[in-house]
Amino acid sequence: MARVVFLREADEEAGLLPVVRQLLQERAEIVCESHGQERTLAPVAKVEAKKKGLSDERLRDFLREMLLIRRFEEMVEERFRAGELPGFLHVAIGQEAVAVGVCAALEEDDVIASTHRAHGHTLARGTSPNAVMAELYGKLEGCSHGYGGSMHLYDIERGNLGANAVVGGGLPAITGAALAFKFRKEPRVALAFFGDGATNIGTFHESLNLAQLWTVPAVFVLENNWWAESTPNSQHSPITDFTQRAVAYGMHSIKVGGQEVEPVYDAASEAIDHARRGDGPVLLVVDTYRLVGHYVGDPQVYRPKGELQELRETQDPITKLRERLGVTDEEFEQLDAEVTREVEESVEFAKNGTDPQPEDALKNIYA
Amino acid sequence: MATEIKLPRLGQGMESGTIVKWLKSEGDAVKKGEPLYELDTDKVTQEVEADATGVLLKIAVQEGEVPVGQTVAVIGEQGEEVAIEVAPEEPQTEGSRAPARDDERERGSEASAQTEAPSGNGATRSDGRIKASPLARRIARERGVDLAQLRGTGPDGRIVAEDVERAKASPAPAGAAAPAGEVEIVPLTSIRRTIARRLTEAWTVPVFQLTIDVDMTRAVALREQLVARMGDGAKPTLSDVLTKISASALMRNRAVNAHFGEDGIKRFPTANVGIAVAAPQGLVVPVIQRAESLSIQEIANVRAELVGRARDNKLRQGDLDGGTFTISNLGMFGVQQFIAVLNPPQAAILAVGSVEERPVARDGEVVVRPMMTVTLTCDHRTVDGADGARFLEDVKAFLEEPGLAL
Amino acid sequence: MPELTYREAVRDTLATAMRQDSDVFLMGEDIAEMGGSMGVTHGLVDEFGPERVRNTPISEMAIVGAGIGAAMQGMRPVVEIMYEDFLTLSTEQIVNQAAKHRYMSGGQLKVPLTIRTQGGAGWSPGAQHAQQLEAWFVHIPGLKVIFPSTPTDVRGMLWSAIYDDNPVIVFEHRLLYPVKEDVPEKLEPIPFGEARVVREGEDVTVVATGPMVHRSLEAAAEAEKNGVSVEVIDPRSLQPLDDKTIVTSVKKTNRAVVTHEAVTRMGFGAEVASVIQYQAFDWLDAPIERVGAKFAPLAFAPVMEQFLIPGPEDVLEGIYRTVGRNGD
Repeated sequence: MARVVFLREADEEAGLLPVVRQLLQERAEIVCESHGQERTLAPVAKVEAKKKGLSDERLRDFLREMLLIRRFEEMVEERFRAGELPGFLHVAIGQEAVAVGVCAALEEDDVIASTHRAHGHTLARGTSPNAVMAELYGKLEGCSHGYGGSMHLYDIERGNLGANAVVGGGLPAITGAALAFKFRKEPRVALAFFGDGATNIGTFHESLNLAQLWTVPAVFVLENNWWAESTPNSQHSPITDFTQRAVAYGMHSIKVGGQEVEPVYDAASEAIDHARRGDGPVLLVVDTYRLVGHYVGDPQVYRPKGELQELRETQDPITKLRERLGVTDEEFEQLDAEVTREVEESVEFAKNGTDPQPEDALKNIYA
Repeated sequence: MATEIKLPRLGQGMESGTIVKWLKSEGDAVKKGEPLYELDTDKVTQEVEADATGVLLKIAVQEGEVPVGQTVAVIGEQGEEVAIEVAPEEPQTEGSRAPARDDERERGSEASAQTEAPSGNGATRSDGRIKASPLARRIARERGVDLAQLRGTGPDGRIVAEDVERAKASPAPAGAAAPAGEVEIVPLTSIRRTIARRLTEAWTVPVFQLTIDVDMTRAVALREQLVARMGDGAKPTLSDVLTKISASALMRNRAVNAHFGEDGIKRFPTANVGIAVAAPQGLVVPVIQRAESLSIQEIANVRAELVGRARDNKLRQGDLDGGTFTISNLGMFGVQQFIAVLNPPQAAILAVGSVEERPVARDGEVVVRPMMTVTLTCDHRTVDGADGARFLEDVKAFLEEPGLAL
Repeated sequence: MPELTYREAVRDTLATAMRQDSDVFLMGEDIAEMGGSMGVTHGLVDEFGPERVRNTPISEMAIVGAGIGAAMQGMRPVVEIMYEDFLTLSTEQIVNQAAKHRYMSGGQLKVPLTIRTQGGAGWSPGAQHAQQLEAWFVHIPGLKVIFPSTPTDVRGMLWSAIYDDNPVIVFEHRLLYPVKEDVPEKLEPIPFGEARVVREGEDVTVVATGPMVHRSLEAAAEAEKNGVSVEVIDPRSLQPLDDKTIVTSVKKTNRAVVTHEAVTRMGFGAEVASVIQYQAFDWLDAPIERVGAKFAPLAFAPVMEQFLIPGPEDVLEGIYRTVGRNGD
């Protein structure tokens, strides 16, 4: 079992760095061979020392949440194909464990910012499926009251500072929010979700740089699903191990596999605690898989054939947790039926929702 | 369905008219029969009524001469599409010179050079449109100033507000008042042009004139009696007496109650006597229809109304049509005798002088009597000397002994 | 009454706000010990410390973005973008994020961020350090934009900007910093959307912003000698714009000249001219003149810079054109 790697100046003094480099290199090779071949997942960093002791009960909650997200996203795809949902939609099927694991590790007063692929994060942070579905249908009952849609889901009460349609667009604000917490001496953390594609944009670099410089309580969660829309990592990033990005800023980083919720939860807890303590921001790299296209309707012509099928069979986080918990088929079916009903009800709720008045478009521009 | 309002033919021989003023604006509600605009024809300026009810959607011709039958406006329902061509703007008439610029604003010779340029179609017009600022146009609209009469002092000859403010506002035709000592050019109105044309025509007719003196003693007494009995009606005048007498005489001398036409001389069964009136807009001849069947008081009433309308420039075509004979009276100015120009196609016109005390011979003695000289001008193509003489003889006889007219 | 330069007026507002409100803090490049590239924040770090007067790395996106984040949490950051030209680097955060968070969330949050910047020609700064870009930002719903031209105005309006719950861009101008004026004893907030009639006149209305306000006053004095009475109006706040004062003035004078230092073509003045044209069409006795920079990047050589940038004589020419003269 590999050990959690904390990249810190202290470690260098302690002579750990050469070991780290070797480990990194080993991992790098495996990652590069990921396409078109039988793949083994990069070694998952399982946290040994600080297991927070996730009870089975808690894990069942996680399962339910992940399944809810899954069924929600599947319903979104279905409703989209039925022509009921306007705009762009990006579903997070395959990445449920990341959303659930990370959000579970946050406190109530913490804040998050998300990406265009935000349904999972939004639901995991506590927004009701009704409010999310209603937003997708453009209703006043939606969490953004019809003003935002799928890529601009906000829920300020639950500390959700908004999904963002601009890649990397929400990162600077997370640095700023963390700065505000520090100013006010509040024990709160600001956490940003973003993808591997975002590690190349200016806001990523500026935000991490500034966050580390000012030692603000921010956590940057990099969901590496290996694709920036249709561009594989090898085509957009000169490095393969994204923890190296953190090195450039002298920032802590943690790497974890994203298809098992427990290690995700643990790694996230570590990162959040680190930040909350005042030890500075953390880059949390989570390797995961997008088991669907970039957007709903994406034919994924760019993806090697067979890859998707294989991933679906071997890397489904829900299957993994189910197996981990030893959930029986009956139990699972019952759970499934429950969440499916919840999702169907959210569609009913949304369809019966209130359309905004056309003139409402002129409201809420200025405070 | 929108209705196109076309310029109507308001009288025989009317080819065109000049729109003077709109009485309704675009967007106003209009009822059929309501006066819509004022039209200047050959003979008179009159109100034209709307022949549809609705909203005045578009005025196609704001002002100017329009041939009969051309669309001048559209009436329809609010919001209806209107697709007619809008006629070009102000007619091309001679403009008067713009007044000198205010000294306070004078800057350099360039500015004064513009005012000294000869008047005429200069930079003020471009592509047939008149260049004027929105403000200048508004002021012109409000004051009834014709932009076409102005010369602009703004850049590129644009008419600016100052130019309009200096122009004296008046109903068409507009023009700046000429400073003292300069020649004033009064543009021809439609009426004057018509008068010019028709009287020139008249001059080509072979005419002869017959003159006779009339003792007005009995006529004057008759008039006084009528005045005593006039009641609520108009006060009868000697002219009214003369109108009645002439009408009677015309009935006895049909040859004189006639029109000349290429295809024949028209002799009329009634005497429609036209009275020449000097109205502000020019000479007009309203007609007292069937004067032979009216009493003198009735004639007075009709005459008073017609003259009143003439003076207010409100005569209608119907007031002017159908005249068979004309009386022109300059007696009130002290003119003793004159020769009137024929009013074609009428066969004759009677010119009436003043009534004045003159010494005359009666039964071998010289007495003083109120005498009046009348001169009949006749179209020799229609009327022979004898016909004219007999008519005139009857007029004199009836005036000197009114009972003979009965 | 105390006399303050424009620069001192800005400093005064910042200091006064920070003294009484711990939620106000400053971020920007070189604003601490150096006191800012234009010396505006000079001395503030001594009074308020490096936490509240923060030097930042050269990261315009993060400067503005962090400001957005802090503002969303209820603080009132005032960030400085050293040169207006560098607003271009943070435009994504200004336009896509700050301006739209409130709207896209359906009204759930506010972004009370103030962005101060300065620009403009003078002393050969070259094309990338001299632009006037207010036209870009007045075009974005969700943003407010102000361009005060005097010490009193910037003092009062910067205060309103800080306490406005919306993102506000405050355009200052390098040539205005040394301008001196008597200011009220106590800082008086000046609301947005109120233009100032700087000089009354009868014959033509000149609408001017920033340094052109002062150049227009020069032109007006000259025009007066020739019998042309000029009214000068400074809108001060560009978004929201005080249509009413401007239109009322043009209805009085019947002529308008709109002037700014920014490039004339497609500039802010085009909007003002359009507002005047629409609301005062029947009152116009001449076409509306626009006086701005010629359509070129700013050349370096002083003689070329001089040629491109509008001066008092250009405003004067515009004035004379509207009163129907072709100049001397």
